[in-house]
Amino acid sequence: MVPVSAVGAGGGSARSRSDAPARCLAQTLFGVEFQSPVLLASGTCGYGREYDDLIPLDRIGGLVTKAVSVEPRAGNPPHRIAETPAGMINAIGLHNVGLDRFISEKLPWLRDNLERARVFVNVVGRTVEDYAEVVSRLDGEEGFLGYEINVSCPNVKGGTMFGTDEAALAELVGRLRTCTERPIIVKLTPNVPDIGVFARLCEEAGADGLSAINTFPGMLIDVDRRRPVIGNVSGGVSGPAILPMGVYLTWRASRASSLPIMGIGGIRSARDALQYILAGASLVQIGTALFVDPSCAEGVHHGLEGYLERHAIASVAELVGALELPAPPPPDDGASG
Amino acid sequence: MTTAPPIRHRAPVVSNRRVAADTWWLELDSPGIAAASRAGQFVMIGYGIENTAPPFLPRPFSVGWRAADGRVGILLRAFGEGTTRMARLRPGEDVLLLGPLGRPFELGRDRPIVCVAGGVGLAPFLFLADEARTAGREVRLLYGERTGDRVFDPELLASLAGGPAEVWTEDGAVGRRGLVLEGIDWSADPVLLGCGPSLMLRALAESAAERGVALQVSVEEHMGCGVGTCQGCVVPRADGGWARACTDGPVFEASELAWSP
Repeated sequence: MVPVSAVGAGGGSARSRSDAPARCLAQTLFGVEFQSPVLLASGTCGYGREYDDLIPLDRIGGLVTKAVSVEPRAGNPPHRIAETPAGMINAIGLHNVGLDRFISEKLPWLRDNLERARVFVNVVGRTVEDYAEVVSRLDGEEGFLGYEINVSCPNVKGGTMFGTDEAALAELVGRLRTCTERPIIVKLTPNVPDIGVFARLCEEAGADGLSAINTFPGMLIDVDRRRPVIGNVSGGVSGPAILPMGVYLTWRASRASSLPIMGIGGIRSARDALQYILAGASLVQIGTALFVDPSCAEGVHHGLEGYLERHAIASVAELVGALELPAPPPPDDGASG
Repeated sequence: MTTAPPIRHRAPVVSNRRVAADTWWLELDSPGIAAASRAGQFVMIGYGIENTAPPFLPRPFSVGWRAADGRVGILLRAFGEGTTRMARLRPGEDVLLLGPLGRPFELGRDRPIVCVAGGVGLAPFLFLADEARTAGREVRLLYGERTGDRVFDPELLASLAGGPAEVWTEDGAVGRRGLVLEGIDWSADPVLLGCGPSLMLRALAESAAERGVALQVSVEEHMGCGVGTCQGCVVPRADGGWARACTDGPVFEASELAWSP
């Protein structure tokens, strides 16, 4: 495969025709360079290959695979997805091919076809040892950078147990740390009273980064049939509808820990991505928007380039966490209520 | 299976006319998709990344018809907010089109073709009947609706499908009163194809299985991506587990699927 430069001039070497300095969209994290801060989110890009015809995968920042569990999982009954106001609800149920087939059928394609895009394998399990087995058996393989630990799927029994239980999450991250030296990213659930507590404990337990956030639990009812629309009864809500919650929780997580964050939730434009970046995300993931338009990730990348150009900012790294907060209001002028 | 990559582009609306109660015939200008489509394949129609109003997600539609000048015909019925908005599409607007996608019908050779359509399940058979008839095949198009006011404009139907349909309605207002399945001549050893509501397809699959007749069905399920990544559009397989309507189908041998309620 011929190596290709990053989308547009973001790789740092290319120059625009006007001879203006190249705007750098590359980010160095986890010991490697991401040619773009824009990645594809787990569950929305399969194992990469499914989108090969539609997305120039090796020109974006990377992708996070569909969740991988030790054993194959059949997933939930239909309907598995439905549209919601400015978004969608899904309960796929971690339908996946299992670890053996992931290693024999899916990983080789990622290894052979992606040279510059960084791959994270999303890992899921029912017990600490399930997770540890996936990580341990994958660790000697090639074709991926690190792990995104899924402790926050709302669509399987016990799926958010690790993500909402401080002691269980600390134990899990600590155990996985003994299995690998590759980057461990924990995908946080929004379904906790204070995400900062969970961000901090991941850092203390040895994680390398965070993904914020997974879907919100939700439900949709067919009023004519008086039945849930989703076969699993409830599901996870994603899409533009959850953008402000994702930005807020990313900001909270970034204030509580020094770990790099992949911001995710409702991103479909550079302005959306910039909100996450200013709130503290170093990278962003595009999910539901890929279904609306598979070219969305490239669009976000080009939009970020345009923003840097317009604001004469050399590198996207300068914007990470660069949110400017207003001065605190006087004591009697509270905003709540 | 199609091997060419799907085409994605903004397709201008050529026309959109009401052809029955709640039912529209939408023509889009999409030469690439028109040329590449096979009967039974589908397209995803969306409003683009700036849009958050229904339909927020792209919706799957059978390629209903195609013309040498690049027009693609889509049969749509206004069921909810998204399809009601699509029914109002007018020339001058465009939509984001992705396709053709999925596994088409296999027509074999020589034997007569019997298409069994329920409601907007008529769509893939317009194109199929027209081209099969042009190729010299004998085609019967059996078309059922619940009520007569929903029967597709017969003149337009005949011009698109290269001949008329045999119409059945449950209220008897148009065509024969009854269920479309009653029109099948099981002794003719046809290439039997079905598309329509799941209850109709189940009855058709059970009748075909009892008689040992092979049947291909085109199924429908809520869809996310249309290209196999999201695992959202599954239907139950006969051997357990799930098949994706988008890439394993939408056309299946009825014997591949589980039909129990």
